[in-house]
Amino acid sequence: MQILILGISLLFLFVLCLYPFGTLIGKIIFGSENISLMDLFTNSSTLTAVLNTLIISLGTAFLSTIIALLLSWPLTRTDLPGKKILRSLFCLPYAIPPFIGAIAWIYLANPQTGIINKLLGYSVLNIYSYTGLIWAMSGFFYTYILLSLLSALDRMDSSLEEAARLSGAGPLKVFFHISLPLVFPSFLSGILLVILASAASFGIPALIGNPARIYMITTKIFTLQKMGTMNGIYSGATLSLLLLGIAIIVLVINAVLLKKKFQVISGKTARPSLISLGNYKWPLFIIICMMLFFLLFLPLLAIAISAFSKLQGDISLSNFTIDNFIRIFSEVEETPRALLNSLKLGFVAASVATILGLFLSYLEQKTKIKGRSLISIIVAFPYATPGTVIALALIITFSSNIMGIPISLYNTLTLIGLAYIAKYLNFAVRTTGDGLQQIHDCLHEAARISGADWWTSIKTIWIPILTPSLVASFFLVFMPTFSELTMTILLTGPGLETLGTLLFQLQEYSDISGGGAAVLALFIVLVIAIINYTVKLISKGKYGL
Amino acid sequence: MSAITFTKVEKYYGTNRVVNNVSFEISNGKLFSLLGPSGCGKTTCLRMIAGLERNDQGTIQIGEEIVSDPINKKFVAPEYRCAGMVFQSYAVWPHMNIFDNIAYPLKIRKMPKNEIKERVTEILEIVELPGMDKRFPNTLSGGQQQRVALARGLVMKPKVLLLDEPLSNLDAKLREKMRADIRHIQTQVGITCVYVTHDQAEAFAISDQIAVMDKGEIVQTGTPDDIRNRPINAFVADFIR
Repeated sequence: MQILILGISLLFLFVLCLYPFGTLIGKIIFGSENISLMDLFTNSSTLTAVLNTLIISLGTAFLSTIIALLLSWPLTRTDLPGKKILRSLFCLPYAIPPFIGAIAWIYLANPQTGIINKLLGYSVLNIYSYTGLIWAMSGFFYTYILLSLLSALDRMDSSLEEAARLSGAGPLKVFFHISLPLVFPSFLSGILLVILASAASFGIPALIGNPARIYMITTKIFTLQKMGTMNGIYSGATLSLLLLGIAIIVLVINAVLLKKKFQVISGKTARPSLISLGNYKWPLFIIICMMLFFLLFLPLLAIAISAFSKLQGDISLSNFTIDNFIRIFSEVEETPRALLNSLKLGFVAASVATILGLFLSYLEQKTKIKGRSLISIIVAFPYATPGTVIALALIITFSSNIMGIPISLYNTLTLIGLAYIAKYLNFAVRTTGDGLQQIHDCLHEAARISGADWWTSIKTIWIPILTPSLVASFFLVFMPTFSELTMTILLTGPGLETLGTLLFQLQEYSDISGGGAAVLALFIVLVIAIINYTVKLISKGKYGL
Repeated sequence: MSAITFTKVEKYYGTNRVVNNVSFEISNGKLFSLLGPSGCGKTTCLRMIAGLERNDQGTIQIGEEIVSDPINKKFVAPEYRCAGMVFQSYAVWPHMNIFDNIAYPLKIRKMPKNEIKERVTEILEIVELPGMDKRFPNTLSGGQQQRVALARGLVMKPKVLLLDEPLSNLDAKLREKMRADIRHIQTQVGITCVYVTHDQAEAFAISDQIAVMDKGEIVQTGTPDDIRNRPINAFVADFIR
């Protein structure tokens, strides 16, 4: 029984996380498909897409770094009022799909109908620009840097900073001379993740970049794949290798950086003394709240206004309506199907990933099988791989036949589900792994001595202790899959709408002036916020933002 | 004149009183120990001298200057108190070499470069780490790191030196040698020291004066001989046994 279950888990790991990428690389580089690599890569539109991707991801990394740096000191080291709530709210965009930000900023800063432009009386802001793209992306990806800075700064031994205070350095000098240099590896690794995430993102480039004719690698691949021919798919897949290349470079640098980490975590948890802001307390609080307003509340407000508006861009009370909700939820025929598909996919992917994650982390932690430490590296690979690459790898691997068996999974919910599991299995393995770590071997041994076989011991001892981690793992996978867009848009087909693709479709062509996308966006944000705070409550603050 | 004066100092965490009506005077150039079981408030007292914690009641004076007086809203930030401190966890900065670690207090004070070099070389001799200036902390043993921390605490010629359980992370043999060295350096430099420990043997061996603390209060103050020979009550007698 034990061997069977663990064997199947390993097989799954291999089929989902390694085999498709091998197939992708094999077929493109060594395959006989008639794609001229040279033609594709010297094509001027390809080069423009590559250049745009570089400009936009570096720009986003730059702006995100500034935002995160400004926030990190007041949110960790001072007696700023409402710090706990502020931290949670500033980190929340991490869980919200970026395309929602794109929609929000289009409502706010569309050159013709944008709310801000209308309020100001003339067209000041134009979201359809490089700056617009970078701003919309930074509003989400700064959280990657902020989260790594906050956790590194929180864990730092506070006496390192106190020693500098006593040496005569003021609070800000301490931050720049001591704290920041000490967390620099984590900081830099956060920045690298932002570069990777923005290069791999699809929602914002598609919704803002395409109308502006600023194409990135991901949106270019989407265009190629939607041509519907095998040739298109292979061209897209070839291009996706570029993204994979970026990802690999970033991850290698990251691995080197993490080795350089300083050991500055103290054994005893000292009560860190907070810096009293004195007279600067309220001015700083107001500045921070304004940042929060522009990064989080203004976009959410824009979505809410749009969802309740008859006419887009008009913010008078007479323009209030709930027609958009009625239209989307009872008239648009795709909505029930999309909702059902998203729930089904999210539920199945989260359950399978959690169970699989549990068995895999069991293998890694509690058995002596050779190479077991590779498991967490293997599951981290698809997580770091851009979604576009995963989708194309799965299409190519599972479209004609599966390892010799002639069944095609292309254009099925199953393939979408597999993509979700591959991408987010990492969350499940890590979360369940944290849970397993709490269980000492002797609990299991005691159960075995008391007469329980392996499976009974799992059922009666492990699972009850593990329940909080299992629940957290389920929701951590459910949250991103419930509204996933980047992979789904490539894998979807007629009848396979999900909330993400329906929202994309409404915003892109079928409901441009109607505020229908805003209705769905509002719904998604609400669901994510509820799940996030539930997870936080269940895990007593360990997971969730 | 006394170097440090506590007058009726109290400190609360929420409603929990961790330091209760503590008063003492430390004479110039003396080594004063705060001795007591963990949680007795001794480290909090030390951190209040440094300015890392604020007292809620009473006044704290370093030399002539009142550094904390909550009633009159007076509080001098740690960086202006001119106090050196040695932490239990050494707190040697891993991203700087030994020279930069020790020179940091002088660089902050914008001292000329050649003078900094002179002072650091001199202090490295005193703590018996000559020629180690280019090494990085991770290549040093725990005892050596503690000497670096001591040098950093002394280099700016502070008014007082504060030591928070400086020996508790060292092994037994090294502890005795280090204890003697700290005492030797303290008398050589002639600096006032406050030494926090839970180890009565350590306190007896190193101190001019000892204050035994329990539950946030000072139970007895005196020379090591006073306390050893005339413990004031059962708690002190039991604790020093």
